[in-house]
Amino acid sequence: MTTLGPTLLPWLVALPLAGAALVPIVARRDARWAGGFTFAVALATTALASVLVAQLASQGPFSADLGGWAAPYGIELHFDRFAAWTMALAALFSFVIPFSWRYLDATLPRERWAPFYALMLLNLGGLLGFSVTGDLFNLFVTMEVVSLSSYALVAVAGRGVAAWAALKYLLLGAVSSLLVLFAVGLLFALTGSLNLADVSVRLAAAEPSGAALLALASLAVAFLVKAALFPLHVWLPDAHAIAPSPVSAVLSGLVVKVGIVGLLRVLQLAAGTGISLEPLNTVLMVLGATAIVMGAFLAIFQDDIKLMLAYSTISNIGYIVLGIGLASPFALIGAFVHVFNHALIKVTLFLAAGAIIHQTGYRTLSDLRGVARRMPQTAAAMAIGAVSIVGLPPTAGFVCKWYIALGAFEADQGGYGFALVFGALFIFVYYVRMLDAFFFRSPVRPEVADAVEAPWSMRAPVLVLAAACLVLGVLGGIPIGFVEPAVVDLLAALGR
Amino acid sequence: MDVVDPRPLLAPLLSFACAGLVFAAGENVFWRRFWTFLAAGAKLLVVLSMLPGTLAGTVYVSHVVTFTPGVSIALRADAYGMFFALVSSTLWVLTTIYAIGYMRGSKDRARFFGFFALCVSTTVGIAFAENLLTFFLFYETLTICTYPLVVHAETPQALRAGRIYLTYTLLGGGFALIGSVMTLDLAGTLTLSQHGVFASDTPTLALAAVFVALVLGFGVKAAIMPLHGWLPIAMVAPTPVSALLHAVAVVKVGAFGVTRVIYNVFGAEQLQALGFATPLALLAGFTILAGSVLAIRQDHLKRRLAYSTISQLSYIVLGAALLTPLGALAAIMHVANQAFAKITMFFVAGAIVKETGKTHVSELAGIATRLPWSMAAFTVAALSFVGLPLFAGFTTKWYLALGALQGDAWWFVVVMLASSFLNAAYWFPILHLAYFRAPEVTPETPPQATPDASDGSHAGVAAGGPRRWETSKTLLVPILICAAYVVLLGVTAEVPGMPTSVAVVAVEQSFGLEAPLP
Repeated sequence: MTTLGPTLLPWLVALPLAGAALVPIVARRDARWAGGFTFAVALATTALASVLVAQLASQGPFSADLGGWAAPYGIELHFDRFAAWTMALAALFSFVIPFSWRYLDATLPRERWAPFYALMLLNLGGLLGFSVTGDLFNLFVTMEVVSLSSYALVAVAGRGVAAWAALKYLLLGAVSSLLVLFAVGLLFALTGSLNLADVSVRLAAAEPSGAALLALASLAVAFLVKAALFPLHVWLPDAHAIAPSPVSAVLSGLVVKVGIVGLLRVLQLAAGTGISLEPLNTVLMVLGATAIVMGAFLAIFQDDIKLMLAYSTISNIGYIVLGIGLASPFALIGAFVHVFNHALIKVTLFLAAGAIIHQTGYRTLSDLRGVARRMPQTAAAMAIGAVSIVGLPPTAGFVCKWYIALGAFEADQGGYGFALVFGALFIFVYYVRMLDAFFFRSPVRPEVADAVEAPWSMRAPVLVLAAACLVLGVLGGIPIGFVEPAVVDLLAALGR
Repeated sequence: MDVVDPRPLLAPLLSFACAGLVFAAGENVFWRRFWTFLAAGAKLLVVLSMLPGTLAGTVYVSHVVTFTPGVSIALRADAYGMFFALVSSTLWVLTTIYAIGYMRGSKDRARFFGFFALCVSTTVGIAFAENLLTFFLFYETLTICTYPLVVHAETPQALRAGRIYLTYTLLGGGFALIGSVMTLDLAGTLTLSQHGVFASDTPTLALAAVFVALVLGFGVKAAIMPLHGWLPIAMVAPTPVSALLHAVAVVKVGAFGVTRVIYNVFGAEQLQALGFATPLALLAGFTILAGSVLAIRQDHLKRRLAYSTISQLSYIVLGAALLTPLGALAAIMHVANQAFAKITMFFVAGAIVKETGKTHVSELAGIATRLPWSMAAFTVAALSFVGLPLFAGFTTKWYLALGALQGDAWWFVVVMLASSFLNAAYWFPILHLAYFRAPEVTPETPPQATPDASDGSHAGVAAGGPRRWETSKTLLVPILICAAYVVLLGVTAEVPGMPTSVAVVAVEQSFGLEAPLP
């Protein structure tokens, strides 16, 4: 029993990756089988992740050494509370995949289904690998797995604009990857190790040097590009809006979080090195607050609902980064809980938007007027998502806003609390436009006036996710209780 | 003494559940009405069942869930909360009857009654909120649930009113959130069950920031000037919505929040020492007079009612800000007094529109011959606002004046006298027109088109045909019951077991002041 966790941990990453390799074989006879198979793999992965989380809850963090080579020489996988919390992110795949079944019918030719599902599983495997790896080089490798599969998923829709958006995404992503690789090399040269925990210890033992600072700074910048923190966000809106809706959900909800998890790993690395984090924190606070306001501001001018949602991701990344920058216990807890809560909300919104686009063929607010009359359940889910993302109670978004605002006052940075609370309201300006158009206007398009509710395979994931947004708003204490010990440990390591 | 009991939770929960079923019933009239009435009735019964305990000084508490360490979602029915819950649940039953009659034949009734039920459920949640977090949770939910009611007509001006409403209330909500967060940061607790949570050595500047943030936050819904802009504009909503939400639930929630801030977050003693209440009292005094002056200039009946509401709400704020036992008693009593009188007026205004299509005061000549019972009820309410003895409004003014003298604020007695005159100046012309002027045209000119389209009910010709006397029973019965309440509240101020006795308990128990009446 005691060894169950370490034994199972490698399979968590191997399962989706193996699944990805098998998808083309399964799909050989009939492309439709790929969807079901992928769903089964996603569910199995989620089940495995829950077993690991249960292990963690009963025994605390554990590690697995790949191939029996002990750390710091072998490759180590490490499962701590941060990693466990990102498992919840991965669970969202189980909602996105069934949604994709019918969605692909209309958007992708059949011969592209197998690559699509294979890329989705690669993406999932990369995400899981990224959050459990205990090794710097694998941090880079898994990040590349996530990034490359994401570029391909953006391009999968195939038309000219998609290729352009994917290229823009690829160029900025490549810069960020290079920075990570550079930093990994630098750290290896400085310490002679690649194991995260080991590097941290050796950095702490050595004299603080400019090179170490440069390495950590490159890592931080690289991850902030991945997280699309304003003003490093330019790649995000097009990529997220052009991609098919299930992909948008994954990219906007989950893939940007790679940057955030990476940033937290940087903080763990820096702990104890004597390098002052004050400048980094100040930058994070300022950029975070700016991102909240600018993301909202840019979104106001969008008519395309998916572009609107993409811009609101920029705002929400701003919340999280602001929380990390404030570096007080409450703010960090709020930021980390928002990593999942934002993913949940954003996946709900993108899938609901996808269902609406799928049923009507339109994607702008002016065309979609009155759609709620014909698709009341999907529109209601969209409304719950909108209220959540603004952070109004009693929804999942409120929990994080409450905590980060509290953290701002705790850190004697009340001004940022104001920025957060009123920046969030600014976001509501465009969601009100959306709700007005959907619920309180008459249809202008015949396709909208005659639309029918989405099929159950699309509607059910959307409704369950929307309900989860409400439940997590009332039971906000549960995720908070879960990440709290991890945040306390991190802050203790950072000497606060 | 505090007793753990599920009923404070049960009251909002029951009506939330029924609200869900109202949505589910959709266009099925029978089941929609069934669930609406069940929600209203069940909630009233649950609240009433706690009344004997409240009068005996018991406080019922239910803890729902720990939201974050140290802060939980919890409900606590103290005497003040009970008083507010009683008022809102009684009025909900009456308004439901009225709304069924008023909205007959209009569109989207499932949405209307569903959100209507949600709004009143949240109101009880606010009344019973044990801490600022729970309060805020319900406060924002109320904002969101009111929005579909305000824009119900879906006309451009309704949508505009909705946007203005959201802008004001959500900005207010933002301040309330900031204030709550600062309170937790400074005091380490958010509870509303104490009479002041801050340690005496808390920096004054920080306390001032908290006070301003919280009063701004809740003052928006209480329509304290200059935060009142949304209220007259929101009158485009259907009349039952204006009546219940903009004369009773939404605005009272704001006033209720301000009193909670004064007596439970800060506490009378500390606030007296800090001196923050005086500027608030001055602002409220200004609002009382300015609201009345503006009301005189309104020809649109519902807008006149709206400005009168702005003025009347500040009686509550002022009474609370006096920090004296009798002032507090008047504030609590006015929650009920204003509610019943104002809802009577809104009901009558709606009946007038429904029957004759008339929306402006200047059109009301001779209306009393057409709607004699309704106008009699309107008269009762008007006399109550002017402050004649035997009507509810008098008791407020009486205790408010005594409370002002207790606090050596003689200037306030002057404000009140002036306000009485102003009230007379805008109510009596209506009565004069209604009773002593002959109708300009024949009284029976029922509108052909949809005169009430402005509020979305598409009332059209009343079902009973053009020759019908008075208005339909579903409209008239609630009007008369409310008017009867106005008289009842006016004559039973010192009768034990009547609403006033709950208010008397509340002053001691909820506000921590000495007993107001010997």
